[in-house]
Amino acid sequence: MRNFAYHRPDTIAAAIDAARAEGAQVLAGGTTMVDLMKIGVFEPDALIDITALSELEGFEVGSDRIRFGALARMAEVGDDTKLSDAAPVLTEALWKAASPQLRHAARLGGNILQQTRCPYFRDTAYSQCNKRNPGSGCAALDGGETNLHAILGGSDACVAMYPGDWAQALVAFDAEVKTQGPGGSRTIPFADLHVLPGDTPEIETILKRGELVTGISVPVIPALKASHYLKARDRESYAFASASAAVGVEMEGENVRDARIAIGGVASVPWRAREAEEFLKDGPLTEETAREAGRIAFADARPLKGSEYKIKLGADVVAGALMTAKSRTTGGE
Amino acid sequence: MAQTINTAVTRTDAPRKVTGTATYAADVIPSGMLHGALATSSIAVGTLTGIDTKRAEAEPGVIAVFTHENLPDFKTVKGFYAGGPGSASFWPMEGNEIKYAGQPIAYVVAETAAAARRGSQLIDATYEVSEANAHMDAEDSFVIGASGDSKGMVTTKGDVSKGLAEAAQTIDVEYTTPFQHHNPMEMFSATAEWNGDKLTVWMPSQSVRTLRGGIAAAYGLPETSVRVICPFVGGAFGSKAGITPYAMLTIAASKAVAAPVRLIVTRPQMFTVATFRPESIQKFRLGADATGKLTAFEHIEISQTSQFDVVTNPGTHITRAMYASPNIHTEQRVARSDTNTGGFMRAPNEMQTFFGLEQAMDELALKVGVDPVEMRRVNDTKRHPVEDVPFSSRSLMECYDAVSDSFGWDQRSPEVGSMTDGDWLVGFGCATATYPTNILASNARVRMQGSGSAYIELAAHDVGTGSYTIFAQIAAARLGLPVEACDVVMGEADLPVAPLSGGSTTAASAGSAVHDACLRIGRAVAMEVTAQSEGPLAGVDPKLITLDNGVLRGPDGKSQPLLEALASTAAGEQEAVGEFRHPALTDKLIRATFAGGYGTAGPVTPEFAMFAFGAEMVEVHVNRWTHEIRVPRLHGAFAAGTILNRKTAHSQLMGGMVWGIGSALHEVTEVDKPRARYLNTNIAEYLVPVNADVREVRVEMLDEKDDYVNPLGVKGIGELGIVGTAAAIANAVHHATGKRLRKLPIRMSDLV
Ligand SMILES: Cc1cc2nc3c(=O)[nH]c(=O)nc-3n(C[C@H](O)[C@H](O)[C@H](O)COP(=O)(O)OP(=O)(O)OC[C@H]3O[C@@H](n4cnc5c(N)ncnc54)[C@H](O)[C@@H]3O)c2cc1C
Ligand code: SF4
Repeated sequence: MRNFAYHRPDTIAAAIDAARAEGAQVLAGGTTMVDLMKIGVFEPDALIDITALSELEGFEVGSDRIRFGALARMAEVGDDTKLSDAAPVLTEALWKAASPQLRHAARLGGNILQQTRCPYFRDTAYSQCNKRNPGSGCAALDGGETNLHAILGGSDACVAMYPGDWAQALVAFDAEVKTQGPGGSRTIPFADLHVLPGDTPEIETILKRGELVTGISVPVIPALKASHYLKARDRESYAFASASAAVGVEMEGENVRDARIAIGGVASVPWRAREAEEFLKDGPLTEETAREAGRIAFADARPLKGSEYKIKLGADVVAGALMTAKSRTTGGE
Repeated sequence: MAQTINTAVTRTDAPRKVTGTATYAADVIPSGMLHGALATSSIAVGTLTGIDTKRAEAEPGVIAVFTHENLPDFKTVKGFYAGGPGSASFWPMEGNEIKYAGQPIAYVVAETAAAARRGSQLIDATYEVSEANAHMDAEDSFVIGASGDSKGMVTTKGDVSKGLAEAAQTIDVEYTTPFQHHNPMEMFSATAEWNGDKLTVWMPSQSVRTLRGGIAAAYGLPETSVRVICPFVGGAFGSKAGITPYAMLTIAASKAVAAPVRLIVTRPQMFTVATFRPESIQKFRLGADATGKLTAFEHIEISQTSQFDVVTNPGTHITRAMYASPNIHTEQRVARSDTNTGGFMRAPNEMQTFFGLEQAMDELALKVGVDPVEMRRVNDTKRHPVEDVPFSSRSLMECYDAVSDSFGWDQRSPEVGSMTDGDWLVGFGCATATYPTNILASNARVRMQGSGSAYIELAAHDVGTGSYTIFAQIAAARLGLPVEACDVVMGEADLPVAPLSGGSTTAASAGSAVHDACLRIGRAVAMEVTAQSEGPLAGVDPKLITLDNGVLRGPDGKSQPLLEALASTAAGEQEAVGEFRHPALTDKLIRATFAGGYGTAGPVTPEFAMFAFGAEMVEVHVNRWTHEIRVPRLHGAFAAGTILNRKTAHSQLMGGMVWGIGSALHEVTEVDKPRARYLNTNIAEYLVPVNADVREVRVEMLDEKDDYVNPLGVKGIGELGIVGTAAAIANAVHHATGKRLRKLPIRMSDLV
């Protein structure tokens, strides 16, 4: 690991000031940051540890919005029973992520900004990686192993997959991100936070240098109560998703009034499947329609060699998640 | 005195381990110690055209950077498959040749581990890159044996073509198994300290004597000048057996900087600087009559090897011993790849081959229309099918009967896809487990004191298996002492000869030497007390006295507790060196072991075939939405001679079965084909089962008596549990889904 300066400011203003410097990076729980520093992928000049900013801790389950501080821990949020009652998808997506140790260390702000697990990105022995080394090419597309890569949203420059779980729940339920930076505060729709790789995979979010995520909020809507996060993975715990779905439904009689579907483990950014949602609206939710919604969610998928199975797997996961969500609606079984 | 053998005794080293006072090799910090780090090649095959160490040397704290151009007095040893103690025959940093990805190219020494690691990231290397293929070229496979020819690597009995022609049903199938890496929890490390021409090495090892002998010979030192110490090992599984480049580099670097140096290999580097389980292809052609009885048995194994060694781990020698067949053909083939040399990984000959064999038996049973357990029963045999000697003991069907009962095999509805549980498809599968009983010479020294304690000393190892405890138990039982009064000292090359801890031999071979030492103590004490003028055994012919669980027994009911007898002797203390020399061990084999090698006899001797057996049954669930495969129940019944400690044996068998779940569903080292590099070199993405994957695992240990294998009647159990698990799971997946998966690991992606 390269030597670096370490600062732990105790006001947000001081943190922003320190974080705006060239070569500075923000440190929260460090489970992404320190990992990538150890393997030489990130080599910051300075780390700005924001964990002294206690005003960014905690979370609150309100009747109109659920608000999370950027420093709330994955574990405390994932284990909260009041939250799991109000919004099961928000606890399930955390609870099924990483391991207990990681969830205790990791914070929500860091969680949504976690890095891809593309093995070529993580191993500096590969010279080709446009994300790590812009303009160098992409080893994944150069005949490499692509099982861990995106089949939605990728570009000719980069097919890295966004690996996180919780972000799928946020994008499905119209979350907003609050930030403070050198230019002041702003509120960003969560769906706009991450950007597609296009020709510039090194640019991952719209955050500006020195801009801190201070909080995340989710509006309370009926579909949140009947929501579910289904994660398919080769082992029961401590594995990234091969495919996942964050869903919620609101029924009106036999018909769907509102449906929310986001898919994980398959796309370059947190991915909302709006066409699939539209397809379900005003119709019945049966195994058949659920499966069709799953297929629609993957209609535009561009599988790579070795990841073709993700299309069917992803569609089946969406369908399974929808059936569980339906069983959570009043009147659902 | 309580019977201490075949009881459940808690590990004697448990308190030390859980309180952190067990000193592992890398816990030792000699004064003035510096830290080493390896830099490794980014390419797989080619030439190192330039190596610039300036940036590394400029890093604060870095003391020296060694490359092939400037490392003085770097010694190498012959590779294991060339008859030496080394992990491979090709040695990096002797020149500028690169033969596998992740090959050491530089060794950085620094004041801190952090500076050394950083320094290793700052080595700038340039290469001329050649084409490389990490996968074996199976089209170009060949037969070669350990002795350099094909001797023993091909078996032919009868005529397989004829047997196939006569069969009511046949199968002709091929199974593949992938690269796997051991990933023991304890990282590879080496700490070296020179004191003039005396050298001490602390290093986690399965064979301290192999290390000492090899290092001493390489440096032209007498063995007495080299100490190798490793009292505890945090898992090895075959990965810590040979002398590796990282060890010899550390020794050379320490000499060059004239200070002790410790290297801890990083997790990604652990995938390339030592051995691994080679990938393999298992081809089976089987024929059976209408009752399931085999008419033909053909197994051809093609196993991966490097460009510079020929790895021959003859799995076909194990499969051919399983079932009776009038016509048998087996062939052991290897194929080259651009990787480091593979080697031993828990059940190195058995895990892969039984994934094939036991699925093939299932496939054939289905075709014939007999129950999979019956398929094994009709083909069970009391004689070795090829060597024409009886098994010293073989309780395979007893194992099947026991596990069928505990598991409820009769609840299985034979039809594929016929069982469900909510959203889950359910399948039951079974498979045979076996492990050869290997025999190695061993010594052990036991010192018994009249105060009621005993010291047991031998150069064996506790690689986490419980050897400290079972040796104490054996001595306690023989000498009539409490287990706590028996102190075991191991993990030092200076102690009496004991074999390499591999091939599930430690309990059987080294344990038998401990047993023998105790009997010798009994005889020596008997000599003395019978010569005394008074006492219960005074005047008795010492030849008529036997040691029976701590009591010296003579004729006419005369007896005296050993401890009491010892207390009455002149010294009040008795020491003896015990020996285990099985009749099947030739002088050549005994010498090989004494020289630090692996002088094993068995599993087939001129008189008997010696194998432990087991049967495993598994319930598999496959989710109809996520296609996830889960293992709610895994039961095994095993017969492996005397069980010395029912607790540690249970743990060994269970651990093997759990690893079997991993082999079946999780483990694989992924390869980047274009650049012949490994991709998932971390334990986040190299999947092994986590707690949540392991639900009900039941282990039953049957009583089995075998007087031939060794005086204790012990067969090895360290590797038995993993054998067959993957096939049982694959068979259950087929039963649940109708999909026959002839490759490992079996993943969701195979079932969508
Ligand atoms: C082995 C392993 C397995 C994992 N498995 C999963 C999994 O199954 N599912 C899953 O979802 N995740 C998984 N993760 C990822 C894990 O959830 C993230 O590493 C974690 O949530 C990051 O949070 P942190 O607080 O540690 O962030 P850090 O590592 O401190 O920071 C991460 C990034 O966010 C930036 N950052 C952090 N906070 C802020 C802020 N407030 N404002 C601006 N920038 C900020 C940092 O600069 C950095 O770039 C896994 C991680 C590991 C190491
Ligand atoms: S997919 Fe993206 S992150 Fe991975 S190697 Fe290609 S450019 Fe780099």
